[in-house]
Amino acid sequence: MNPKSPIRRTLLSCLLAAIGVLVFDGLLFHTGLYTSILEPDSSAGTYQLILHREQEAQKRYGDSMIVTLGDSRFAYSPRLCNQLTPRTGYTFRNAGMGGSELRSWYYMLRALDPTANRYRALVFGVNDYGDEDTLDYPDDNIRALHYVITQLRWSDAWDFARSFRTPAVQWQALRGAILKGTVLQSDIQAFLTHRLKRIAYVNLCNRGYEDWTYNFVDSPASMAGLTIDWPKMQATFPPGSTPEQISTTTSWLLHPPSPQTGRTAEYRRKWFGRILDRYRGSRTKIIFVRLPRGPIPRPTSLAQSTTSSIREFASRPNVLLCEEAAFNSLEHPELFKDAWHLNREGIARFSPMLAEQISRMLGPPR
Amino acid sequence: MLFNTTIFFVFLAAVLALFYASPRGLRRYILLAASYFFYGYWNYKFIPLLLILTAIDYTAGIWIEKVGAGRKRKAVLIASLSANLGFLGFFKYFNFVAGNVALLMGKPAGYFFHDIVLPLGISFHTFQSMSYVTDVYRGQQKSVRDPIDYALYICFFPQLVAGPIVRARNFFHDLWNWSPPSGEDISSGFFLLILGLTKKMAFADQFAKVANSYFHDVPAHPGMVTAWSGVFAFAMQIYFDFSGYTDMAIGMAKLLGFHFPINFRRPYLAQSIADFWRRWHISLSSWLRDYLYIPLGGNRHGRLATYRNLILTMLLGGLWHGASWNFLIWGGYHGCLLAAERVFRGDRPPAEKWTWMYPVKAAVTFCLVLIGWVFFRAADLPESLRILQQMFHGGPGPMLLETWHIELIAIALVLAALEEKLDWSDAVVKWPVWAYASTVAAMLLFVELFGVIDAAIPFVYFQF
Repeated sequence: MNPKSPIRRTLLSCLLAAIGVLVFDGLLFHTGLYTSILEPDSSAGTYQLILHREQEAQKRYGDSMIVTLGDSRFAYSPRLCNQLTPRTGYTFRNAGMGGSELRSWYYMLRALDPTANRYRALVFGVNDYGDEDTLDYPDDNIRALHYVITQLRWSDAWDFARSFRTPAVQWQALRGAILKGTVLQSDIQAFLTHRLKRIAYVNLCNRGYEDWTYNFVDSPASMAGLTIDWPKMQATFPPGSTPEQISTTTSWLLHPPSPQTGRTAEYRRKWFGRILDRYRGSRTKIIFVRLPRGPIPRPTSLAQSTTSSIREFASRPNVLLCEEAAFNSLEHPELFKDAWHLNREGIARFSPMLAEQISRMLGPPR
Repeated sequence: MLFNTTIFFVFLAAVLALFYASPRGLRRYILLAASYFFYGYWNYKFIPLLLILTAIDYTAGIWIEKVGAGRKRKAVLIASLSANLGFLGFFKYFNFVAGNVALLMGKPAGYFFHDIVLPLGISFHTFQSMSYVTDVYRGQQKSVRDPIDYALYICFFPQLVAGPIVRARNFFHDLWNWSPPSGEDISSGFFLLILGLTKKMAFADQFAKVANSYFHDVPAHPGMVTAWSGVFAFAMQIYFDFSGYTDMAIGMAKLLGFHFPINFRRPYLAQSIADFWRRWHISLSSWLRDYLYIPLGGNRHGRLATYRNLILTMLLGGLWHGASWNFLIWGGYHGCLLAAERVFRGDRPPAEKWTWMYPVKAAVTFCLVLIGWVFFRAADLPESLRILQQMFHGGPGPMLLETWHIELIAIALVLAALEEKLDWSDAVVKWPVWAYASTVAAMLLFVELFGVIDAAIPFVYFQF
């Protein structure tokens, strides 16, 4: 026997096995085969539901759609905004998702708007126009992979992985982007545990998701009575405050400034930059909105940001910045359900204000 | 550096590349350096200990041969065995003995404790050393003159940490007559590497999650079904974990041109406890047979002596696993079962043929083995008794295994039954490329979909 043949045979087998794995992975996860039965309450499943919902909405609404993207802090009601449609002429849709961030918004938009021309405006809700670094660094958080997994193509794998900072996370992202089964393992195992139940739940969500989310009414809980002694960094909570209200206030508001490393600026320049580049020359306007900061905003003395990538973007022709203090009037404890999120009343006030602001910035639809 | 980590595969690829790219005369040195690096990567501070044990037994082998027959020869053997058992005893059993002595003296169990870290693989390499010296003493093995060769025998990285326990004559036969691995060896080595990885990551680690959650807090998991499913999960974990490790070790050795003995032969299909021990951790059970059971007299001195030797051998086998009363009870339990079988079976060898009674016998054997695993895995004796109480007198409780766990086992059972009849895993290397590749692809898919990837769960036998 030719002494090289066994090695050649083994190498050929390895190659064929690797191709087999990729083909199987591709058939299962790069087509709609498994995506259609993802757990609706998982990150990937909710992301996919939102994407599907918004793709369907595009068929129903005309040419004057505005899509908003943000995390759970961008709490507003498209239904309340759209009550003003007869006057403003614009229809608001929300493609944001709790826990999501720039990377997820980029891939969401790429799937929702392949020609970068579908919407009148993209509205991004951000905590601050300044690039303040906090202890939470989304640039190296593998969570993003679990949101965008269904939308990653093999051609994205290298670039997506390189967008993380540490080699371990980069490796995790690369492996997950190529072999999606490694990321969706727990979803698959949960499906295998309750197959029929899952399919029934997926069908239920597919039927009702638009109504549930569009007509969703948030909690009336409030932080009314909250006071903060900033010099002492101490909060006094109203009676009956929940542990979540206390913990979010402590972690979100009562912390000393974090070391400023420039990572937030770098991250924003990279991913907002990519989105802006996709829409270069498009009719779609890109609008940044500073969200109501909290029940009691942190004093400016505690804010450390030295740069503002978002203000830099404003020099581009299709980028608009909403007046920074436009929603400061909502920064009251009685309008927040915890330290991060507006409550029912806050949303009821914020939504029409948002619709008015954005419509004014865009002018009447042509 | 665990076998189921990326860093290990980088290491292995580098070793294979260096090994085959180097002139033949250098290859032993490369393997030795790689093996010490592998060991030192875990804790370099124990390399001197490994060197000392290697030096002792290397010298003892030569000395035994030099002094010829007589008392001196025996004295050297005893000195060598004492050194090995002394090190093993200190690192592995000091705290166990000290704890029991303290309790006998009415003091707290930790009164005489020392903060002792168990050197990785000490139970395995000391057994290899002892078998070598004993074989030289018995005239079954020539002493090894080249210290590099002997050091490599002790620390060869594929089997250093958890075996299989390789006999010196087999290892040196491969080393001294080394030839490049055949085509079948390469195919088989690679296949075993992937098979072991699949067993470990897709099967053992998934069952480990269930078993660990059960054994971590037994009182929180009452119920008969709960107890049986928790213990069943551990039975699956330990089998797939250890046999997976062994498959990887054998596969790696084959890729480097060495041949290790098989260590597992579908043990849960055994028809009796004696059959089980012919299929489970074969390199240890044959070691115990050759260096303990037979020297004790084996079955040569009547029935009672045979039963005593069986129980004593298994007691010591249990103690080898770890310093606790539970391991001793586990070993004693298996010894008693072996003796009881011997009472009923007489001197006839255990049946291995498939008959209509086979499934019943296999099921009974498996249940007996499961009961043994309670002592093996539980933290202490009271916990073992609590689990047994739940297994036989517990109320209803939830099943800890999901449907897909059962499906995984069903797949494994079908494959094992086919293997038992058809030896397909040996034949796979002769299959056409597409069939071989499909089998490898299927295993990789199992790893992709079921493998516990981001939490490298250590191999169970690494603690021994």
